[in-house]
Amino acid sequence: MRILKVLGHVGELNVSEIARRLGVNYETTSKHLKILEDESILQHKEFGRIRLYRINEHSPKAKAVLDLVRVWEQAETEVKT
Amino acid sequence: MSHYRSVFRDETKLDINYVPHRLPHRDRELRLLMEFFSFLLQFPERMAQRVLITGDVGTGKTALSQRFGADMSREAGKQGKNFRYVHVNCREYHGSLFLILQHVVSVFHPNFPQRGYSAEELLRIVMQILDEENVYVILALDEFGSMVEREGSDAVYQLTRLQEVRQNKPQRLSLICILRNLNLISKLDASTRSTLQSNIINLERYSKQQLVDILNDRVSSAFKLSAVPEDTVNLIAELASSESGNARFGIELLWRAGKYANVEDLDTVTPECARKAVSSIVPTMRKSDLALLGFHEKLFLLGIARLFKQGQKASATLSEAEQAYAIACEEYDVKPNSHTQLWKYLKSLAATDIVRTEVSTTGSRGRSTLICLPRIPAHELERELKDILEKGEG
Repeated sequence: MRILKVLGHVGELNVSEIARRLGVNYETTSKHLKILEDESILQHKEFGRIRLYRINEHSPKAKAVLDLVRVWEQAETEVKT
Repeated sequence: MSHYRSVFRDETKLDINYVPHRLPHRDRELRLLMEFFSFLLQFPERMAQRVLITGDVGTGKTALSQRFGADMSREAGKQGKNFRYVHVNCREYHGSLFLILQHVVSVFHPNFPQRGYSAEELLRIVMQILDEENVYVILALDEFGSMVEREGSDAVYQLTRLQEVRQNKPQRLSLICILRNLNLISKLDASTRSTLQSNIINLERYSKQQLVDILNDRVSSAFKLSAVPEDTVNLIAELASSESGNARFGIELLWRAGKYANVEDLDTVTPECARKAVSSIVPTMRKSDLALLGFHEKLFLLGIARLFKQGQKASATLSEAEQAYAIACEEYDVKPNSHTQLWKYLKSLAATDIVRTEVSTTGSRGRSTLICLPRIPAHELERELKDILEKGEG
């Protein structure tokens, strides 16, 4: 969920940057990215050794998860205010 | 609280980054640039082009390139062509090819990692991105000299011969290299030079009249109606002309003069506002220069300063200056010197750039000498001269 939240906000990122933002190691991040990609929720582009991950805009699963994130964040903001 | 008045209608039109819709006296160069790149609207994949734009500071190189980029983008958009104009100031990136390419990548992928690859890899990545996005790019390398100085021939060669290592692939990347002086190119080796020097657009320095046109163009979009008198525009054009025809300097001066007019709550930007503006950005007068003048030279200059003090005049005749000098002599209880002597003083003051002279042929009695006080605010000059004269340093 945290990976999707980050990518939902910034569009696309490489593995190291996702790991840095989540405060977890590279291997764990790669493993979760692979799971999300296998589910077609994410997709990636390769530029040499660099992989840029982004949310698969055509995936109904990705859309459902992003909707959930949006509603969740709205509710959190309302509670704070 | 007093009501705020401003001579400006839209001061952003005087910002250094503003690119006007029309570039006075650069129509021909803009058409030439369009002509060099016209293939992009017809067969973008078949060609890539390299163009050099050269010219002194303030001759409109950046504005020309950016105006072209905007016009070309609009035209390509209308025709459904996927085209991007990317403008990079090489100096901002310390002339580093790596950082420049990184900027290009960031245009398409803003979060692309900043480390972990070489300039060569980055160059391949740029081309991969252009292929994937099916986009044709003109990369304008402003201050190209800083890249030449830092990277030398190899990097420039890589960039200019990029297409040759991409056999049977669409030509994606054209270049506009913007630099002041072509001599910089001589630092490159012969083969690199030959890849660059085929299309050169050299921008000549603007003449005073051309600067007047440019300034009038900006006045009409940036200032309220009648807020900037002709005399002020002429004076600023004169100053910009003396700075190697630097239009950017003139536009900046125009903006600053407007600020001085606002501070003094004036409805118009007077020539005196322009003089204050220039004295704030150029170290124009040293007190020691004035102290070195002879006693009568100081009195003559004092008379001239008083003539301009009211702020409405941009120039005065020698005969007006002579009358003002006579009054100053009366004040200091000395006999005025002859006309011939004043003429010599005037030449000496002009030689030290304290005043500027020009010959006018528009008067009713043939040629007459006009005196301008281009750089020093008249009230400041009067105060300095009075101080020196009263201390008896004359």
